[in-house]
Amino acid sequence: MHGWGIALRIQQVSKEVLQVGQGSLYPALHRLEYKGWIRSTWGNSENNRRAKFYELTATGRKQLKTELETWERLSTAIALVLGGKAEASI
Amino acid sequence: MITELLTRLRFLIFRKGQDELDEELQFHLEQSVLAKVAMGMTAEEARRQALIEFGGMEQTREQCHEQRPGHWLDTVAQDVRYALRGFRRDAVFTITVIATLALAIGATTAVFSVVDRILFRPLPFAHDDRLVSVGLVQSLEKQEFTLGGFFYDWRDNQKPFEAIASQGTMLHACDLIENNPAQLNCIHAQAGFLPLLGISPVLGRNFLPEEDRPDGPRVVLISYGLWMNHYNRDPGILNRLIDVDGTSARVIGVLPKDFQLPSLQAPDLMFPMALNETLERQGKPGTPMRTFARLRPGLSLAQASAELNPLFVHTRDTIIPAPIRKDFHLSIRSLRDLETKDVRLTAWILLGAVFAVLLIACANVTSLMMARSAARERELAVRSALGASRGRLIQQSLIEAGLLSLAGTATGLALAAGLLRVFLALAPSGIPFLSRSSLDLRIALFTAFVSLVCGVIFGLLPALQTPRATALSVRAEQTRSHTTLRHTLVVAQIAISMILLSSAALLLRSFQNMLQQPLGMESQGVLTAQIALPGFRYNSGQKKMEFYLQLEASLRRLPGIRAVSFTDSLPPGGWNSGFRFSDLAVAGRPLLVPGTGGTVTTRLVTPDYFRALNIPIVRGRSFAETERGSSAHEVILSRLLAAKLFPGEDPLGKTVQLGHTVSWSTVVGMAEDVKNNGLTEQSNPEVYALRRNAAEDWGVRAPILIVDSVQPPATIAPWLRSQIAGIDPTVPVEMETLRQNVNKLANRQRFETALVSFFAFCGLLLAVVGLYGVISFVAAQRTQEIGIRMALGATRMNVLLLIAGEGVRLIVLGGILGLAAALAAARLLRSLLYNVGPYDPKAYVAVTLLLVLVALIATLVPARAAMRVEPVVALRNE
Repeated sequence: MHGWGIALRIQQVSKEVLQVGQGSLYPALHRLEYKGWIRSTWGNSENNRRAKFYELTATGRKQLKTELETWERLSTAIALVLGGKAEASI
Repeated sequence: MITELLTRLRFLIFRKGQDELDEELQFHLEQSVLAKVAMGMTAEEARRQALIEFGGMEQTREQCHEQRPGHWLDTVAQDVRYALRGFRRDAVFTITVIATLALAIGATTAVFSVVDRILFRPLPFAHDDRLVSVGLVQSLEKQEFTLGGFFYDWRDNQKPFEAIASQGTMLHACDLIENNPAQLNCIHAQAGFLPLLGISPVLGRNFLPEEDRPDGPRVVLISYGLWMNHYNRDPGILNRLIDVDGTSARVIGVLPKDFQLPSLQAPDLMFPMALNETLERQGKPGTPMRTFARLRPGLSLAQASAELNPLFVHTRDTIIPAPIRKDFHLSIRSLRDLETKDVRLTAWILLGAVFAVLLIACANVTSLMMARSAARERELAVRSALGASRGRLIQQSLIEAGLLSLAGTATGLALAAGLLRVFLALAPSGIPFLSRSSLDLRIALFTAFVSLVCGVIFGLLPALQTPRATALSVRAEQTRSHTTLRHTLVVAQIAISMILLSSAALLLRSFQNMLQQPLGMESQGVLTAQIALPGFRYNSGQKKMEFYLQLEASLRRLPGIRAVSFTDSLPPGGWNSGFRFSDLAVAGRPLLVPGTGGTVTTRLVTPDYFRALNIPIVRGRSFAETERGSSAHEVILSRLLAAKLFPGEDPLGKTVQLGHTVSWSTVVGMAEDVKNNGLTEQSNPEVYALRRNAAEDWGVRAPILIVDSVQPPATIAPWLRSQIAGIDPTVPVEMETLRQNVNKLANRQRFETALVSFFAFCGLLLAVVGLYGVISFVAAQRTQEIGIRMALGATRMNVLLLIAGEGVRLIVLGGILGLAAALAAARLLRSLLYNVGPYDPKAYVAVTLLLVLVALIATLVPARAAMRVEPVVALRNE
């Protein structure tokens, strides 16, 4: 998927809640690439323009899994804290 | 982990071009425009909206660039280049900072390398913290010794020690007789001595118990140096028989390299003591020796002393005769104390001095860095406005500080190596371990770190603050707190250099007093010589006497020789023979109370002694040449002794006995007092006995030859050598002028004084640089103000006073604080001072004047420059 596609996708998936600054998307992509979590290839886009496509690498996939787990732990914890607060206020 | 590293490496090597990034971003933009056109916007409006949505194109490009793994290195290289350019522009600043750092690092490293071994480094023995010197002390011998009678009793019955063993009292000369003869230093030691110190031979073995007996096999341990230089590291040295002083001994081992006795002397040969234990135990004092022991773990010196005391009292009361018993005391001292007692205070004082210099240097570096960064506040503001991040500005400051301290450390290490060499050249032989000092890199790094931290903290301050927008528009102004801090630093510098200077002044005055005091004799033009007659050839007093008398006669025939004399010791210091005052007996009077009156020095001299050293005989007469052949016993008393023994009476013709065992002698004269107990101690009463032409007067101790001549000693020395060679060409001779001998006694004080003065000078220099820097900075900052004042009618004198006034305030405040601190610190110096009090007004007045004068010059130079500013120029100044 190319950068433009990623930007669009984030907007769609988050139901327009997350507006990623398009300018800051590319430094982030480059950083991930330097870390070896994604890999890029030049290919042709749907309208036949030369574009740079990104895809997850094996290490990237592993990293994604750990990041997701961390996020889940964190969000569960936050939910618990918020829930506890709500109970206490009753 | 490794794959990540490889990826990074790949990107580092195959850098992506700018073009790819541009193409990627371009694609994004086009897609965005296309999408917007599809939504019905005009092409132009779509492009505008797309650009707004994207944000800063250039910023994104920059940020992508910064993600590259090698980016950080690029910025470092860039900062280094930038810093170097800046240093070249500010050459004076750079050189001052590097010189200050180098001085601080160099001096601290060199001094620490010297004192480290004295104060901190463990001794080269196993369990060195538990090793002690144990024995008796008495008024004539202040260093612990034991006697055979004590040693064996203690060894068998003592409780406080794990191990106890002895060595002989001192090194003695011995002769190695073979094809390549050499005079060596020998020592005797018990079989348990080396194991006690935890020393084992590098080759061969230690003495066996059966070799440490009077009838045991004669064996010897040789030093590493002897093995290397004399035997070319021959591994077959073991079991070789060598001939020492005419008897052969079997080499059984080689001592470790750099082995030193606890007395810090290095023996060439070590023999077993081989004492006859049964003979030593017979209730008589027995053979004298130096005894060392290892304390049981956890036992303090005081506890050990208390535990051993009953045994000591018991042994003393059985062995030492009642009249002198009270004069003997038990002493237990740590080995370190024994080795470094005299120099420990010196070491601490040096360390203190160099620490003070380090403080001043740090203050200077801080102050300089702050001045520079204050001056660059506008530059920082500009860089920040152009998009430099805070991190980047901090990185830049750190790199500058790092480069400076790197240069300072390198220069400092070179300086330290040079200084250490100077110390070693200056240092007296009495400072232990000094000859083995080497540069200590740990401390160099530590010092570099300290100076760096000073520089970094204050160099960083401005970078940490958000650069103020005003800094761009208005002339950068020093914040108030910075000015106060810099002023405080200058005051501290002045105060610290005041302490250093006054310590140096006190030591200098003490040193002067010591060298300029009247010695009671004339050392000018007097040459002394010591001749080591090999004991195996000159094996009787008669043979020695014949040699010396022949030499005396041949020297007297030389032209320009005023006097030739032999004595057993030389004033004013060093070894001399002596006895207890209370052992003196005067004919017809009751004996003196035992153990009172201190020590009396004795010298066994030939009649010319008084003429050679120009010591006046104030009453009676000197010894006559003719009396040397007679058997009459005659003595000459010093004025002090005469006054003490015969107050208000004429000492001439009285009969006295010097100690209980010798014959009665008649007093024939009274000589003026001569300094005889070192340069700094109170002189002892003295008695001169005539060295007669009798074998017993020449046998015991090698006499010292004194030659007084109208020719300079340099001319006489070769004559003397050839005269000696004419009698026996093989004997080694050591020559020295009496002046050199006296000077040598002041070596330690010379060393202390020179070093402290050097540091005081460095401190002063640095403080003055600091003061100068602050004042010229203030003057430069107030240029505009000066212009306005002058335009409003202020005279040049007013301006001078305005600027100089600031400096004078700092000087006065620093001076007063420093004076107070110096007076407080001077108490520590008290024991090093001779004939000058720690509050000597002259020293303090001189130091204050010097400091004020130098500081005023440092203030007036920039103040005068400010005064000369043309008002028009000053007003236009930004």
